[in-house]
Amino acid sequence: MDEQMISCTIDGKTITVERGTRILDACERAGIKIPTLCYLKDVSSHGSCGVCVVEVEGAKRLVRSCMHTVMPGMVIHTHNQRVLHARKLNLELVLANHPLLCTTCERNLNCELQALSQQLGVRTSRFPRTKKKFEEVDVTSASLIRDPNACILCNRCVEVCASMQSVSAIQMVGRGLKTKVATFYDQGLGNSVCTNCGQCSLVCPTAAITEKSQAQQVFDALADPSLVVLVQTAPAIRVGLGEAMGLGEGSLVTGQMVSSLRALGFDKVFDTQFTADLTIMEEAYELMHRLTHQGQLPMITSCSPGWIKFIETFYPEQVGHLSSCKSPQQMFGAIAKTFYAEQAHLDPRKIRVVSIMPCTAKKFEAGRSEMDSSFAYWKEKLNLSEVERFADVDWALTTRELAKMLKQVGIDFAGLEASDFDDPLGASTGGAVIFASSGGVMEAALRTAVEKLTGTVLQDVEFASLRERKGIREAALKIGESTVKVAVANTLSNARVLLDQIKAGTSPYTFIEVMTCPDGCLGGGGQPIPTNADIRAKRAESIYEEDRSKPIRKSHENPAIQDLYARFLDQPLSPMSHHLLHTTYTKRVVYPLD
Amino acid sequence: MSDRHTAIQEIVASHRTERGALLSILEAVQRSSDHNYLSKEELVLVAKELEVPLSTVYSVATFYAFFNLKAQGEHVITVCRGTACHTRGSKPLLTQVLKQLNLQLDEEGTATTDDVRFTVHTVACFGQCALAPVIAIDSVIHSRVTEQKLSQMLQSLLEGKEVS
Ligand code: SF4
Ligand code: SF4
Ligand code: SF4
Ligand code: FES
Ligand code: FES
Repeated sequence: MDEQMISCTIDGKTITVERGTRILDACERAGIKIPTLCYLKDVSSHGSCGVCVVEVEGAKRLVRSCMHTVMPGMVIHTHNQRVLHARKLNLELVLANHPLLCTTCERNLNCELQALSQQLGVRTSRFPRTKKKFEEVDVTSASLIRDPNACILCNRCVEVCASMQSVSAIQMVGRGLKTKVATFYDQGLGNSVCTNCGQCSLVCPTAAITEKSQAQQVFDALADPSLVVLVQTAPAIRVGLGEAMGLGEGSLVTGQMVSSLRALGFDKVFDTQFTADLTIMEEAYELMHRLTHQGQLPMITSCSPGWIKFIETFYPEQVGHLSSCKSPQQMFGAIAKTFYAEQAHLDPRKIRVVSIMPCTAKKFEAGRSEMDSSFAYWKEKLNLSEVERFADVDWALTTRELAKMLKQVGIDFAGLEASDFDDPLGASTGGAVIFASSGGVMEAALRTAVEKLTGTVLQDVEFASLRERKGIREAALKIGESTVKVAVANTLSNARVLLDQIKAGTSPYTFIEVMTCPDGCLGGGGQPIPTNADIRAKRAESIYEEDRSKPIRKSHENPAIQDLYARFLDQPLSPMSHHLLHTTYTKRVVYPLD
Repeated sequence: MSDRHTAIQEIVASHRTERGALLSILEAVQRSSDHNYLSKEELVLVAKELEVPLSTVYSVATFYAFFNLKAQGEHVITVCRGTACHTRGSKPLLTQVLKQLNLQLDEEGTATTDDVRFTVHTVACFGQCALAPVIAIDSVIHSRVTEQKLSQMLQSLLEGKEVS
């Protein structure tokens, strides 16, 4: 027999598994799904809850199947009385200190703790509450709310923040009954190095970390007849929203999404993909400008707001590498409240721009003080005073928030007829679609830059090496005589690798794309729960399918974008573009000393 | 750079490569501090010099009971609030200490006078129940404490004398 294979007995069945297989994975192969609470595949294994116990013959105590691997000849019982009793007991211990306010809870019907209690048949906890204090809810962040009272100390968020994002804004602090997840000195996420990525909210099994919802503000705006409420949808929503509305994983729902937004009452349903094409124009030209004018290289993309706060905080000396382009969300807001306002003869003060984003950091981005170029544009023309200041984007909702709004009003999502985006800010190319996936912005930029740089038509628009499902990907391109190397990173720990190369002077790249979330925006912190590697793969498939189905796949060929330049912006990097579509960055500190 | 910053730099440099460096560094920083505690600024400096996240430093400093995040008085008075001591009147003793020093316990169950001369704590049990009620002053255990005895001890401390 293969050295690497070992056999064991699970509930009387003999099965053979690879050495090093976790007991719970072996059980799954034997047809038994062991319940888990703190453990999350590929993400975190903390071994603290004891919900996953099994009996191993010869072992005195029950064994946590998420923490231990199968040994040759192991005899495992997954559901005898002793095991079932212990699982319930361990869950009841967790519940003893839990608020149990399911009916009014943010995570009601989408909560692992609730689902597990249901599954294990736990109806009450036999244990009294041991925690004395009610913990203060952390509302300091623009993006997230942390409620330590709902926390079950599973450690997933801490792990994700440290390992996936290399940020460590949060940690377990205190000891014993006082243990809790907290930022430094409990100063709150908003006063910490947190990048607002929301990956912690995606893995949290309970309502202890949720997005800071702006749904009510949007409902209020929709109900106000004096306002014109525009909505824009990020590329990744069309492969995420369906899941939250009960359709299959990664289902592509572009047309229903548009119809559902119209049904909610938005005056115009526009597409962030329109400004994704615009971003490509500006960014490709910026890259070409840097290449021909000895500009700072590598140039790094700037559309992911978690990434922006990360580099501003941890590598402030490197912000010069960032493209000065605003993200598509912000370009949209700036264009909607200037160009579109003029076209449609609207008072910019009466326009509200709502974005639907796969991202919690977009809330922070929309609130950045420099994101008010449309106000600056109108200030003199309309003689506005500072108190009338308006932001380019008013509210940024996550996919999850939109799904809740749709459910609240009772829209039958699956039964909706598909419909098209409104003109003129609704037209987009395949290049814009793939912004949803890690590697997509790079690919779209190359579709435009390579063509412009070589002066020849790019026949094959798909860059296979940029689509490999890896944290860091690279490609080498021949442009004329020279070879240009580019790289793509998703998650901040991978971005750190590329930044450290730049710091050490060893970066071989000309152009780098960074996305904060695993596999890019389609795995964003505002996407439906659960989001895991398998689900992300399905969403990515749908995105590339949508790209292939688009009649135009290169951003610079988008006629609506060409028209926008002809009528309003002039050309990429023009003074008007600079004014509305480009931005500056803030240097932040990791270790604040007052 | 402040003297304290330089001192912390030296402490960090001397432990940097050790296993469990953070713990030894925090111990050394607390030991060398004026009032036997780790200030917020000191924690920031340690994190910065050791190049670890602030949250990690805070995590360690709050996990171990021997780290103090608040200034500790020159004299530390610990009143036992365990069951045995309670039944033998530790509550009035605690009230007396607090009143005499004009203090109120915070939610962590401690308090320090503004001049940082006295810190009062409570504990759940000293394991000396037979000698209840028990009060420790500067780590010396005093048994079968009466209100009168306590008052004398506090008076001596206030006058800057040793407690017998
Ligand atoms: S976090 Fe889950 S179990 Fe707790 S109150 Fe909310 S829905 Fe219920
Ligand atoms: S939002 Fe991201 S950076 Fe902030 S605490 Fe959560 S995981 Fe960490
Ligand atoms: S906040 Fe959520 S993810 Fe973090 S430890 Fe608590 S329950 Fe787990
Ligand atoms: S799931 Fe195994 S200990 Fe929590
Ligand atoms: S109760 Fe006070 S010493 Fe035990």
